[in-house]
Amino acid sequence: MRKAFLLFALLAVSFITLPIIHIFVKVSSHQLLETIKDREVWDSIFISISSALSATAFACILGIPFSYLLSRTEFRGKELIESIVNIPVAIPHVAAGIALLNEKTTVGKFFSYFHITFVDTIYGVIVAMLFVSISFVISSAIVGFNSVSKELEMVSRSLGASEIYTFWHITFPLALPSILRGAVLSFARGISEVGALLILAYFPKTAPILMYERFEEYGLNSARPITALVILVSLFIFFCLLYLTKRYAKG
Amino acid sequence: MLRARIKKVYPGFLLDINLEIAENSYNLLLGPSGSGKSLTLKIIAGFEKADEGKILLQGKDITDLPPEKRSIVYLPQNLGIFPHLTVKEQILYPVRCQKKSLNKNFFEKIIQEFGLDNLLERFPSQLSGGEIQRVVLARSLMAQPKLLLDEPFSDMDFHLKMKLSDFLKETKERFNLTVIHVTHDPIEAVKLAERIFIIEKGKIQFSGILSELFQTTKKGFISEIAAQLLYLKELIKNAKSRT
Repeated sequence: MRKAFLLFALLAVSFITLPIIHIFVKVSSHQLLETIKDREVWDSIFISISSALSATAFACILGIPFSYLLSRTEFRGKELIESIVNIPVAIPHVAAGIALLNEKTTVGKFFSYFHITFVDTIYGVIVAMLFVSISFVISSAIVGFNSVSKELEMVSRSLGASEIYTFWHITFPLALPSILRGAVLSFARGISEVGALLILAYFPKTAPILMYERFEEYGLNSARPITALVILVSLFIFFCLLYLTKRYAKG
Repeated sequence: MLRARIKKVYPGFLLDINLEIAENSYNLLLGPSGSGKSLTLKIIAGFEKADEGKILLQGKDITDLPPEKRSIVYLPQNLGIFPHLTVKEQILYPVRCQKKSLNKNFFEKIIQEFGLDNLLERFPSQLSGGEIQRVVLARSLMAQPKLLLDEPFSDMDFHLKMKLSDFLKETKERFNLTVIHVTHDPIEAVKLAERIFIIEKGKIQFSGILSELFQTTKKGFISEIAAQLLYLKELIKNAKSRT
């Protein structure tokens, strides 16, 4: 049986790696060098990384307190709220972009009062990424908080620590490995987003949007080198983050 | 020292407790599961609210104080060691969380008494079961509690359990602690108690010393416990006469 399973494992790994390797095989070093010198490419990579980082930060700020409440309290309709959290994962991302495209609503007006608009601005990029990635932070943080026993919190309180001290010194550090895992996934999800961005904020161009544009306008050959570069940068960041979280988790 | 009159109503269950605990005493709270003993402990520690009643600790009304202001340390079943802190950080936790200044002499004394000098930089995963107990008790003492509340040591094997109860009692003598220990194990009861409280169906059905327990004519869990203990005594006597 193991041998048969091994075959499936090999197929799965090749399915993931072969298309990526293929891109690198097809790109000449000359093309790659040209792309590395291309200012627009680096700008788009910078927009991608900085917006995905900001979106992840907002996801943590919004998501962590919410996850703590969901983990620690019982109330009617809790399951409903938990499934609402996963809506962004379930709906097509173009639909998410259309749903977010609401300039004339109260929320839109509220932000425009502070000169923040979302159509074709960096704020729009961040909001779109936040929408599609916040579920990852919330789900992982709930798992993290659930893994910290309430008794540890009780012990901390009885030793003289306030509720907030207990949260920052006991609950949060113990849930942190899970939260970080969620944050890494959320970052990865944000950086790879296209659908919602096509609708809400095509500009400033993120790397995936630029890839898509080059493919549409100039064809496969011009899209490949930038794709190769973006894959390299993404993988580098992803593995760095993964390594850091793993190292932290081990203490 | 501690006087608690508390009532709490649940659908199908009423907790109605009237408890008086003397200073520097070791008290056992015995009862079948679902009798309300853990709930009583949680109300005294401040993690659950009573519907009515008052809790006085050394004359001070603590009924509405949050857990961290009660000077009552709570030890759960698994002892509640913080897995991410070193031994030193655990022991200093009560001082740091209240931003008190550290009494160095007291710290040194506790480290010495509990033989923790060489373990200070270790994490709980690097400690044995016995060492963890020492750390947890040392940490509890650093909070300088007026009262120590213990859940039963039920997850442990028999020897560790007995060692811990010995150690707890010894610590109680040395540091003049007042302890309320919850258990459903009659052996622990015989070993530890200066005073026994038996809770059944949310009420205290018996309070007194061990010898009084054997003379009680009350029915139910109390006579059950007394019978178990007497039976144990007989068994041991018979076994001895056989050898």
